[in-house]
Amino acid sequence: MKAMNRRKLITASAVLAIVGLASTALPAQAAEVGVSSTEIKLGMTLPMTGTASLGYNKIPGAAKAYFDYLNANGGINGRKVTLVVKDDRYVPTEAVAKTNELILKDKVMALMAPLGTANVKAVASSVNPARRGVPVLFVNTGFSGFADTKKYPTTYTVLPSYIMEAKIMGEYIKENFAGKKIGLLYQDDDFGSDALAGFKTAGTKFAVTVPYASGSQNAAAAAGWITKFKAAEADVVILFAVSSATSAMLGVAAQLKYAPQWMLGSVGGDATTIKLTGVPAGVLYNAIGFSPVPATTDMKDEYVKLFSDIYAKAVPGSAFDLNVLLGMNTAFMTAQALKAAGANPTRRTLMAAIDSKGATFANSALVPAGYSKTSHVGLTGYWVGKYAPTGDLAPIGGTYVTYTTDSGSGAVVKSTYKRPAMPAKGLPN
Amino acid sequence: MKINSFKKRALALLSISALLATIVSIAPATAAATDPVCDGKTPIQTCLGKTSDGAGYEMRVPSNFNGTVAIWSHGLGVSWAVPAGLLPPFPNGIPVDPRPNVTPGTVVGSTSTALANSILAGGVAVMGSGFPVQGWNLDEAVKTNVELIGIFKKTFTKTNKVVAWGYSAGGGITQALAEQHPELVDAVAIIDPVAPVTAMQKLLMDALWLFKTYFDPTMKLTGYSAGQAGDLEATADIGKMYSILASVGANMSTGKWPATASASGKALEAAGVPSRSAMLLCALLVGVPVQSTSYDNISGPEGAQKLALPLVVSPALASLENFGLALTSGLSMAREWDTKFGANWYDNTKTNFADQLSESDRVIYNAALSGNSVIDALLGVLNPANPGAPRLVGNAAAVAKASQMYSTTGKITVPTIMMTGVNDPVPAAAWIQQVSDGYTEQYAAEKAAAFKKYQSTRSYVAPKNKLSVLWLKPPKSWTKFDAAGSPIAQAYVPGNGHALFTQGQFKFMIDAAIKAANSGSVPSGGAHITAARKAGLVMDKYSSYQYLKYFNK
Repeated sequence: MKAMNRRKLITASAVLAIVGLASTALPAQAAEVGVSSTEIKLGMTLPMTGTASLGYNKIPGAAKAYFDYLNANGGINGRKVTLVVKDDRYVPTEAVAKTNELILKDKVMALMAPLGTANVKAVASSVNPARRGVPVLFVNTGFSGFADTKKYPTTYTVLPSYIMEAKIMGEYIKENFAGKKIGLLYQDDDFGSDALAGFKTAGTKFAVTVPYASGSQNAAAAAGWITKFKAAEADVVILFAVSSATSAMLGVAAQLKYAPQWMLGSVGGDATTIKLTGVPAGVLYNAIGFSPVPATTDMKDEYVKLFSDIYAKAVPGSAFDLNVLLGMNTAFMTAQALKAAGANPTRRTLMAAIDSKGATFANSALVPAGYSKTSHVGLTGYWVGKYAPTGDLAPIGGTYVTYTTDSGSGAVVKSTYKRPAMPAKGLPN
Repeated sequence: MKINSFKKRALALLSISALLATIVSIAPATAAATDPVCDGKTPIQTCLGKTSDGAGYEMRVPSNFNGTVAIWSHGLGVSWAVPAGLLPPFPNGIPVDPRPNVTPGTVVGSTSTALANSILAGGVAVMGSGFPVQGWNLDEAVKTNVELIGIFKKTFTKTNKVVAWGYSAGGGITQALAEQHPELVDAVAIIDPVAPVTAMQKLLMDALWLFKTYFDPTMKLTGYSAGQAGDLEATADIGKMYSILASVGANMSTGKWPATASASGKALEAAGVPSRSAMLLCALLVGVPVQSTSYDNISGPEGAQKLALPLVVSPALASLENFGLALTSGLSMAREWDTKFGANWYDNTKTNFADQLSESDRVIYNAALSGNSVIDALLGVLNPANPGAPRLVGNAAAVAKASQMYSTTGKITVPTIMMTGVNDPVPAAAWIQQVSDGYTEQYAAEKAAAFKKYQSTRSYVAPKNKLSVLWLKPPKSWTKFDAAGSPIAQAYVPGNGHALFTQGQFKFMIDAAIKAANSGSVPSGGAHITAARKAGLVMDKYSSYQYLKYFNK
């Protein structure tokens, strides 16, 4: 009897061994939602139509351009990465409905780069990706709260937080505009709360602050804002605002010939998007701006060169701008996370891969990422630039000076971060 | 888009109040208990009688009675008559209606013969009582149902299974019956149930106090006079509530406040705070859904309003529409409890309203609330230190009396099938979510206990699953617009409104409950899911609706 049992055991071990061998040699097994032997399916919600879509609607095209390039070069362990994109028009309730579709109908493995603080929050509370174990990779918002791993255990930020940005702005002001009267335009929600918190930590004193409610921004409102900044005799006006508010402000300012020293937050600071609204490029000239990734015109940068080449072939005629670069960079980071998640990636191994290796993922940013087993914080800083006469943001004096900080009380310091070289052909290694 | 045309539509919407609109005038029952009098007809005989508390009841029993009876509990009716000619949505007033229903009808407050016959065709008897009192009657109705079950079993001795079902307040009655007398019912089907009385009191009184504080300080809410004078005062409060809804609805674009607004409301108006934001905040503070039958917060007409309507305006319109449904019954209840417990039965002196705005709602509806500064200004008015917003100060004896009513616990004692529309303004989804989450813990504990028993006996007996929740969800989007771009009022959209279900959905529920009664566990598996899907219902183990504010602890 014992011998029989031993024989059975040996036979079973042999079968297992064969299966084990086969699993390394044959196409990977489908063992996770959204992962088949040939495909990894991801989903994205963002405004693709309507007034809030300007600029943002280039992000899916950019991400797909990178994924197509990746797929043409073998994909992730032989699997193609596909991206299902749903238009939420920047309406939270619509984002909830569309995310439900992505998870329940399209059965995506993970959500990637959903856009907008309110939308991501609506999805978190109503769709509850955390409870479903669905990764929410690299959200397209700088709201600091999304790095809270207790509240959002499956969510990963990528953009530096608005608090970090405000702290760095505050530091720059301290270094360059001491004694000047500072004005601040901010959105009167979590986006703005983060900004106010950052400026408070930085010790920035304002001559005037002008909040606007999301959805209320237009030319008439902008005229009112300018009146307030003029009354306060602001020397420097910070536009910590979305693109539509930034554009409205700059457009009306040009008409009224109001020209303080502008300082543009990264959210509304994409020159291509601003120019699309009819704002003359010259209005941006000498404005101060911030970005975590290289200047989009910096063709000496290996990432910018590669990504712009890929994008030009994929979407001919479309300008390579900040939204495109960030979209492609996010896709590149996602590809590395998928690769690091193992031969048969699951939702769990995908998140574990970011936790353990995310801080070392190659990407175009000039500042470090903060991922670890206890942190879902993405990029942690900015370089400061000025807009050229063409409207393009470029480093001051031609050299990137980067600052890094955290979303708490940590100091703002000039970064010594050395970006690792791009992996061969810009493919995950 | 012309939103000013909303005023007329608001009145039309209010007139479809599902809770109260279909009640017909019949004098309250006062008779003593009588044995059932059966007509002996075939294939269905009808028996009528009264329980010892004077409640009229009706039984319908098929010739092929198989031993199962379904006892139906109808929803809320007013306990005091709203006089005719005072409220435009109710030109004939709202009378007290003690008639029994044996199944849900095509509209609330009636029996559907077709549905009853489809149940009877399966050999199942149906019955129901009109209850001895109307209004919030869980304590009385449970006693009536217990007696009625006994009468039925005595009359029809073949009875071996009892299934209880009900909607709205009847859902609460059914839940209370199962909690208090699990030995009497084999399974229950609970549809759009009211939450525990303490939670409902808070929701309704908070909402009414917020209306009074922002929009019309002359609303009484408590301390009504005795008798008909008090009825008239409460009716006047309902009229004021409608006027507020109509005024805010007519001024969605301008943000103008009602002429009756409080000094605090007028100060907010002067500061540029739109009345629509105050209306939306009222809904978010009490937990009334902000999607409704006509407003999905998704759609907008072509042009500039395509984004602005759903982002800035629609949530307030939806709040207004849902308040129209929820607060008519709320004021009816306020008057009833005032009479029952004495003046000042409700106390909100310790309520921190700012805490009742969830962090996610503040962000998600930030644009419609007009930004953080406006939110803070609106919440500032509710500060206890504001003399312009006096709190309701409870009388200790009256408050104690109010707390004596039975409050459902949500504990699952017998196989239970629950169903709700996700945007029910009552709001049932919040309570069902809590029951569902509670049962998840209860079931896990039962499994752990079974495993522990296994360790000593080596015989594992898995606990039976006793809860199945079915959600009626709305379509992807449902707001409709006329040629001018104005939203069109709609009477019915699945998942919205209160206790609005198709006959097929009701039949699915009773069939599932009967199956559960026979097996001892709720149906599950492919056939059940397919049948639910065909009925337009979905199961969602990951649902996460916000709890009622009473449970913000």
